[in-house]
This record gives sequence, structure tokens and C-alpha cells, in this order.
Amino acid sequence: MESFFWVGLANVVDPINIAAIFAGALIGMFVGAMPGLSATMAIALLLPLTYSFRPETGLAMLASLYLAAMYGGSIAAILLRTPGTPAAAATVIDGHPMARKGQAGKALGLSLTASLIGGILSSIALLTVAPLLGKVVLNFGPVEIFAVAVLGITIIGTLSQGSTILGLFSGALGLLLATVGMDPTTGTPRFTFGVLDLFSGINFTVALIGLFSIPQAVRLIVEGNAKGEDRVSKIRDRMLPTGREFVQMLPNSIRSGVIGIVTGLIPGTGGDTASWFAYNEAKRFAKNKADFGTGTPAGVVAPEAANNAVVGGALIPTIALGIPGSSSTAVLLGGLMVHGILPGPTLMTDYGDVTYTLLWAVLFANVALFVVGIFFTRACVAVTKIPNRVVGPVIVVLSVIGAYAINNSMFDVGLMIAFGVLGLVFDTFRIPTPPLVIGLILGPILDMTLQQSLLIGKGNWMIFIENPISATLLAIALLSALQATPLFGGIGRLVKRSIGGGRPTTGGTE
Amino acid sequence: MKSTIIALALTAALGTTALTPAMAQDYPTNEVKVMQGFKAGGGSDALAQLVQPFLAEELGVNFVNEYIPGATGAIAWTRLAKQTKPDGGTISITNTPMLTTNYIMNPSITYTIDEITPIANIVTDPGIAVVAADSPFNTFEDFVNAAKENPGTVTVGNSGVGGDDYFTSLQFERESGVQLQKVPFQGDGPSWTAAMGGKIDASFTNVGVSFPQIKEGNLKALAVFSEERLPDLPDVPTAKELGYDLVAGSSRGYSGPAGFPDEARQELIAAMQRVVENPEFQKIAAERAMNIDFISGEDYAAMLKKQEGQYQEIWAEIKDEVQKQ
Repeated sequence: MESFFWVGLANVVDPINIAAIFAGALIGMFVGAMPGLSATMAIALLLPLTYSFRPETGLAMLASLYLAAMYGGSIAAILLRTPGTPAAAATVIDGHPMARKGQAGKALGLSLTASLIGGILSSIALLTVAPLLGKVVLNFGPVEIFAVAVLGITIIGTLSQGSTILGLFSGALGLLLATVGMDPTTGTPRFTFGVLDLFSGINFTVALIGLFSIPQAVRLIVEGNAKGEDRVSKIRDRMLPTGREFVQMLPNSIRSGVIGIVTGLIPGTGGDTASWFAYNEAKRFAKNKADFGTGTPAGVVAPEAANNAVVGGALIPTIALGIPGSSSTAVLLGGLMVHGILPGPTLMTDYGDVTYTLLWAVLFANVALFVVGIFFTRACVAVTKIPNRVVGPVIVVLSVIGAYAINNSMFDVGLMIAFGVLGLVFDTFRIPTPPLVIGLILGPILDMTLQQSLLIGKGNWMIFIENPISATLLAIALLSALQATPLFGGIGRLVKRSIGGGRPTTGGTE
Repeated sequence: MKSTIIALALTAALGTTALTPAMAQDYPTNEVKVMQGFKAGGGSDALAQLVQPFLAEELGVNFVNEYIPGATGAIAWTRLAKQTKPDGGTISITNTPMLTTNYIMNPSITYTIDEITPIANIVTDPGIAVVAADSPFNTFEDFVNAAKENPGTVTVGNSGVGGDDYFTSLQFERESGVQLQKVPFQGDGPSWTAAMGGKIDASFTNVGVSFPQIKEGNLKALAVFSEERLPDLPDVPTAKELGYDLVAGSSRGYSGPAGFPDEARQELIAAMQRVVENPEFQKIAAERAMNIDFISGEDYAAMLKKQEGQYQEIWAEIKDEVQKQ
């Protein structure tokens, strides 16, 4: 094992592999920045190209691409309010307001730095404790995953500040929309109206593109070029955070990174979920809760550190046991098979040289991402110099292409536009969109695991309480929900008064 | 569109040898579009990536993949059956049992196998029953007896409603008279992972996907659902020799639309035959854990027809019970 560790490092520093990592980072960033083109898709399409490479070179390139796409998604999220990948949806909430305040460069720099910290953390986890953590995955069956999803639902509370009723409405609508499609345990089509394209449910990415991009495009076209503050055009602001800012963002990045690793580890949940979890926790720990949603740096750092950390987390079960942790790693596993490496528990032993090369490549890919990112992002910020009336229609075009490209389906283009209209309605009535997104992400997971758990428990709901992991998670979810009610606030005040100490209210942006 | 263009570019880049008309072949088109009902990178794609480079060389034509995922392949197969011109220029990867169970289970799916022209089956991944390494079941009989003693309590995972493992469970219930508690998962991986972690009592899955775990001792194999014992798992009995008439698995092959030109079909079959006999192909297939099961032309059509009959019968029996849940 020890020797593979160094063999892997020696393999990675081979100039060809370094070049492959940089190439992967560039492609990944581009793919990530384009709405609708996902990392999974790019990996699947580039896979045949890597057949002619040596296994370690091909895998290094694909791993780098996967990682870079996670960052790339934030570029469009910040500049255009259009998440390039589902994992960047949470970045929109504070990233775009920052850009509107003229801090586009700073927001992107924060995103890049947070991505680096999250990525490095997860690479370290991969290189050191992967075999140990891999076994943890087996503890997560349907019952436990259901509890994780329930905990995720409580995030809706955080995201609907302002109007709880409207937030809950939005979240409930998301959950309802998520039930469209074939019932996972009986195969009965629900709410499909006989339309085959709806049998697999509403494609989440298609919905996301519509919800965020179309209202944004309409807004840009309607507003035209307002003078002054509304232009996202100041690119001269410093991109990378100062030393002091870096220290300030560190606790948030590390916490979010750990959230990302754990979420990546759990089967069925990935970057799209992790970024919301991290955003929620960042807000919980922050002193300036009211600033969230108006462009606070912590709101950008959290989701971006988390979604890059997911890459390492998702790879842990993949390499320790041969179980794919996400759809992207499933495709990566396919890449291993092509080179005659059967994914399974022997990846760390029989094929240790290739596996450790892959792990080191993930670490190096973070550095490559950072370097490529600095230049690529500078170029991207130029987008903000383009007049709004041009950018708006371009967003629509990209959205149509993106929606079509996911499943090669014209139906999805229509669906995207329908969700665009829904997004416009939501904006008009000031209904928050993020709870709807959470509902759409977690709905299918809740649906599937609830039915599975009840089948396993023979219809007995006690199965959720008898299981220690799920009981704990559900208790946390209950507390989290109660926290938002007046009851809990009252108790909190009582406790605080009895202790007799007020908290200092001054604090930084973190 | 975008991904099609990229795929096209890649195919062109990789299959340059295919562009040189080395053999005096006269396949009706220079390019064959291959519709896949599942995402790039899945099982169908694995077959395409394995077979098509060899096939391109044999026929001197280019193969272009088009991914049309959704409704467990039904969108692609509906398009194949209803909207595809039978000129030899478009074929599709056909996966069983989904090809037939789709329309048997859902009245809104309207294509049938009578509207397609089966060309050849290429691979079959036999079904297998696995349990966790520390499971109290050591033999298939242990498992059956437990299910007999407490009907409906032994939990058995499968890869999803309508998939091969789901129908294998149903067939097994009919064959043995026991009642299992069937738990569907989203694919084979989650199903055998749940068995490995002891979340369910057993998993009906496939050999190709679970073999590394069996070899490593993380999963115990109780029985395989193949005609004969497998060379890689000589100690695992077949369900047949244990007295259950159960042979099942998931197969992948190629089909065209109805009215597919006969010469083109014969040419494809002959080329595929040469490919599966190619030692280099066999070596790569073995490395990727693909079990070659070449059944061509009318034999493939007969296989699909037989499956259709079996599944129709099973579904008619249990339909009401399932949909009542």
C-alpha cells in the first residue's frame, strides 16, 4: 500500500499526465460554465478519446475535468444568474447579488479559492482515510438516506426567510413536481398524461435552467442598460482574496468541505445537495444572517467549497469498494473497465498503482484548476462588458441548447421554457425559488427511499426510529424545524437570560 | 445536438480506419446511426464502445451513437418502431427484458416487438442471487426455506420494476411457490450494495456487476440463473440443478425498424458474427466482464417473442396485486 502511494505520485508528475490534468481542467471549466452541459456528459463523451491513452493519463484527465466542471458552474451562476451545473444553484443566491454590486471579480475569486480549499481537503481525505470511510457507505441504506433527505428538507426553512408561507409553498410545489414519473416500486406512471417523455420524471437540470435563466434573460432585456450600479461591469476589482479575507473564509470553507465530503460519500446525494447543506450551515453559523441573499461572501464560499469537496467524497466508495458515489464516478468506473481494470474491492490492492495515480491526480487537478481558473475567469468576466440587451437573448439561446443537449430531446426544451415561465411568476409574486429547487432535488430521493424503507420494514414506520442513524438524523431535523418556530425562540431566549450573558454582536463577514 | 456533434467528431477521430473502404462492401449507407435508450456511459454504451469499432472495420461504415434516455428506453424504441425509415441507416441497441416489459406493463407505451426487426443479441449477463458475507444463508436452500417459513418477510433487492431482476424474482416466486418481499432499487449497484451492508436479506442481480465483490468475499453467491455453471464461479450451483426451472439475465443486442432491408440485415449479422469470433474482441470483452451470447436473426426474434409471452403471462397474474400497493 505504502509503495503504491509513492508510485502514484511519481506517475502523476510525469509531464504527459500533468498536461492531461491541465487539459482536463480547461475542458471541465468550459463545460461547467455552459448551462446544460454537465461533467457526467463530458466524461462520457471524452471517455472513448482516452482509450488510446495509458490508463493513468486518461483517468487523470477525466478526474481533472470532473473537478473543474464543479468550479466552472459557478462562473455563469455569478455572472449571469444561470447555474452552469446543478451543483452551482446555491451559488446564485449570493454570487449574483455580489456581481451586481460590482464585485464580480471578487465573487469569482472567492469561488475559486473556496473550490481549491474544498478540493484539497477532499483529496487529503481520499489519500489517507478512503479505505476506512469506504466501509461507512455500507451503513447507508434506504432508511438512513431517507433521514438525510428529511434533514435536507428543513433547509427550506432557512431559504424562505421573509415569508415562511411562500417558502413552504414553493418547497411543497417542488416536492409535488418531483412525484411526476413512474412510481419507483410499482412502475405506475404518475401525472404523465400518457407523455412518454415524462415517464422518467422531470429532468432536474432542465427545470433548473428554466427557473433561473429565463427570468434572468427577461430581466436583462426589460431593464436594458441601467446606468451605474446595475452593471456587473467592474472587473478591475481584486479577484483573489487578501490574506485577511482568506483567514476569515477558512472556517467556513473547512466546514463546508467536510459537509461536501460526507454528502459525496452518501450514495445518491451529490454536489447539488451538498451545496445547499453547506449554504444552510454557513448561515446558521454566521452572525450576519440577514445579509445572506444580498451578496455576502460566505454565501459564495460555502456552496463552492462543498461542491468541489464532493468530488473526493464521491470517489471514496468508488475506489474503496467499487461502488459509484455519483453518476460522474459511475462513468469514471466505466473508464477503468475499458482499461481492463474491473472496479471492485481490489482497486486499492491489485491495481494500486493506477488508483493512487488517480488520487494524486485529483490533488494536482485542484492546483491546475486554480491556475487555469485565474486566467479563464478573467476572460469570462469580460461578459459583463457586453450590453444587457445582447446578453439576455444569448442566455436564452444557451438555455435552449443546454436543455436539448441533456437528453437530445425537444420536449425538454419546452419543459425548460415552462419552468422559465414558472420562474417569472415566482419572481413577480416574490415567491422564493430555492425551496422549489430543494424540493425537486430531494423529492425523488424521499419518494424512492420512503417506499423502499416501508417495504423493508413490512409497512412499519417504526423502522425509522429503531435505526440509530436515522433516529439521530430525524431528531436533528425536528430540532432544526422547531428552531424556526416561535416556541424554540422563546426557549432560547429563556436559556440565554438564565445564563446571563449576551453574545458580542460585532463581527466580520464570516 | 451538441453531444451528437461531439460524438460524431470523436467517432470520426477514432474510427479513421473505418473510413477507408478496405473491403468491397456495399452496405446501403455510409453511416449507421445507433440509437441508445440510455445515458452515455451506461450499459448500452459499454456495448456500443466494445462492438462498434470492430464492426466499423468489418463493414467499412461509420457508426454514430445517439443517446435518447428516458422511460427505461421506451422513448428510443418508440422512435425506432414508429418514426425510423427502414433504409439500413438507423439501428438501435435493444436491451431485454425492458424491450418487452415496457409495453407489457404500461399501456401508454405503444410500440411492440412486431414493429422492429431483431438483428442479433451480443451479450447476456446471467442473473445471480447474492447475500452479505456474514448472512445466515449459506446455500440457496437456506434462503428458500426461510422464505417458506415466513412468507413475505425475506427482503430481496432488484434493479428496478420492469428490469430483469424484478421479473426473475417474480418467476422464482411462481416456480417455487414462496413469497418474497421485493425491494426495487435504482440499478444493480444500489441493490447489491444494500445486500452487502445487510440492509436487505438478499439481492437478485447480475454476475458481471457483482463478480469482483464475490471474488473478494464481500458477497456470497447462492445460485446463478444460467443454463450451466459458470467457469468463473464453478462452486455456485445453477437454480436449474437445484430444481427450479429458472434461466434469466439481462441481454443487449441490436435491432432495426420493421421492414429493415434484408440484405443489410444479413450483412450486419455476418459482420457481427465475424466480430464475436475475433480473438482480439473476445479478449477485450473478457477484460470488461462482458459475457458473449451471440444469437442472430430469426433466433433472436424467437427469443424476444418467447420472453414477451412469459412476461405477459406473469404480469397478467400479478398486475393487480402490484398496482394495489
